[in-house]
Amino acid sequence: MSLNRRKFLGTGAAAAGLVGLNGLPLRAQTKTLNVTAYGGVWEQAIRDCFVAPFEAKTGAKATVSLGGPAQWLAQVEANPENPPLDVLIMTPDLAVLAAEGDLMDEFTVEKLPNLANIPQAFTDACLGKGTYFDYGVGGITYNKQAVSEPPMSFAAFVDRVSSGEFVASVPSIQYGPTTVFFLWALNNALGGDVNNVDPFFEAMAKMKDNLVFWAGPNDFFNHLASGEADLGIYFDGRTWNHVDEGVDWIDFINPEEGGAMTAVAIQKPKNASDLAWDYLNEVLAPGPQAQFAEILNYGVTNTEVVYSEKLAARVTPLSKANLPPYAEIAKVRNEWVDRWNREIGM
Amino acid sequence: MRLTDWALWLFTIAFFVFMILPIAVVVVISFTSAGYAAFPIPGWSFKWFARIFEYQPFIDSLWVSLELAVVATVASCLLGIPAALYLSRSQSGWATAITTFLLSPLSMPMIVIGFASLFFLSWMGFGISFLALAIVHTVICLPYVIRTVTAVYRAVPPAYEEAAMILGASRFTTFREVTLPLIRPGIAAGCLFSFLTSFDNLPVSYFFGSAQTNTLPVVMLAYMEHQFDPSIAALSTLQLALAVVALVVADRLYGIEKMTVAT
Repeated sequence: MSLNRRKFLGTGAAAAGLVGLNGLPLRAQTKTLNVTAYGGVWEQAIRDCFVAPFEAKTGAKATVSLGGPAQWLAQVEANPENPPLDVLIMTPDLAVLAAEGDLMDEFTVEKLPNLANIPQAFTDACLGKGTYFDYGVGGITYNKQAVSEPPMSFAAFVDRVSSGEFVASVPSIQYGPTTVFFLWALNNALGGDVNNVDPFFEAMAKMKDNLVFWAGPNDFFNHLASGEADLGIYFDGRTWNHVDEGVDWIDFINPEEGGAMTAVAIQKPKNASDLAWDYLNEVLAPGPQAQFAEILNYGVTNTEVVYSEKLAARVTPLSKANLPPYAEIAKVRNEWVDRWNREIGM
Repeated sequence: MRLTDWALWLFTIAFFVFMILPIAVVVVISFTSAGYAAFPIPGWSFKWFARIFEYQPFIDSLWVSLELAVVATVASCLLGIPAALYLSRSQSGWATAITTFLLSPLSMPMIVIGFASLFFLSWMGFGISFLALAIVHTVICLPYVIRTVTAVYRAVPPAYEEAAMILGASRFTTFREVTLPLIRPGIAAGCLFSFLTSFDNLPVSYFFGSAQTNTLPVVMLAYMEHQFDPSIAALSTLQLALAVVALVVADRLYGIEKMTVAT
């Protein structure tokens, strides 16, 4: 085949056109909502419980973007006028940051009728620009084969790990939620507050010879499975997921002082499609939330939700968990991280 | 055999065990019959390999990763080979500075490149798109092509090309018949590194991830954070097998030794 100048230019233009079409920004597609999800079972649950009823009711389509809150928030910050995502799943601390940055729309019962059944504290925690729809609790997960009488409180946990009775696996500072579900929770249980975290650091100093640190949730499970640790600080829902996968030697305790609620927030970026309100209302509805909870083993926030018997025995009730003051923690978080790096280092 | 030879031999064995054992553990876990990742495994099964093909985001993102790696490698070659040829022979003081500039993505943290590119390309109107992702991947792949082609081309005496032109060959014929065959190992090495760099990249792709542009590493990370089954180990084993096949093919086509000389 001979290649003359005209053919070369024509082929080049066609190739550029194809690449260009493929590269059109996502919002160029109409009647399509871009929502977010974590990977794996989370994504499937989002599709089955929220996307499917949303599509059935509105006739619109929803695409699901997999990833994480920091990634999604950066994408919205980079494109505030034309956000590539219409609904964000966020960690509570990033939800506060996004609300403070005026990047998100206000949540009201007029726009979201199902918001009426979500405790007001969860919307307030997002500064009114979002709410929580799902939550877990950080507590004590232990290996039943290694620990016959587990500590029932954070205080007992500290005493018994300090004495060398157990080796504990605790989250390292590399893991984002550590400052809340471990540092704040333990400090709170030991009598400290947001402005005084000495009790936490004193407890860590006492336990230091009997601690191993996990950087990601899968590390924690490996610590227990390999015998490197006997127990540790982990989440209720993740523990039950392991049980459902066939791990029969693991169990969870919500400490007597109450574990910290680690919630999942949802928000709508400013300038995102108004279809997002229909989707968000579906996310907050009792039916889809109950279905979502059954799949993920985590609690949900609509007060009308009735859990199955199996799940009701597992989910930590809202009344027995502590809602961390995320907005206050965000202000001192860097100081805590700095102190952690100096005194603990992991 | 002398004591020092024994010591060296033992050290070499220990080194290989240290390097290979963690990978071997991942490969073994990928064949576990258990629903969670733990070692040793209770039994053998292929079910986690089947899971890879059942989970549609793995397949979709694999195609995006392959498409992206090919586009970034081709673009890097189109931009990098002419630049490397010119800069290798240039006597200008600017040539060193420009070469250093083109190689600079190698010395920058990828996460910084990703974050900065997200805001820059969004400001330019590219948004979160495959085109934006391809541009950034080309930026990070370009240094590999320039580095390998430059290394090979500098070892080629200019007299070869001069002789061809004295004998009447045009510039293009000289490039096609003399230069190109001589720099081919450098191009092959650059393409291989470029493809693998793009295919494995997480920190840059992370910022450009969307339902349409998520790459395999981004989906793997998202999956790992909330799922505990060993399908990621199975996927890693599959990736490892593909990398080995790629290296064997490259060895048959060009010879790994020639390509390592190029680097």
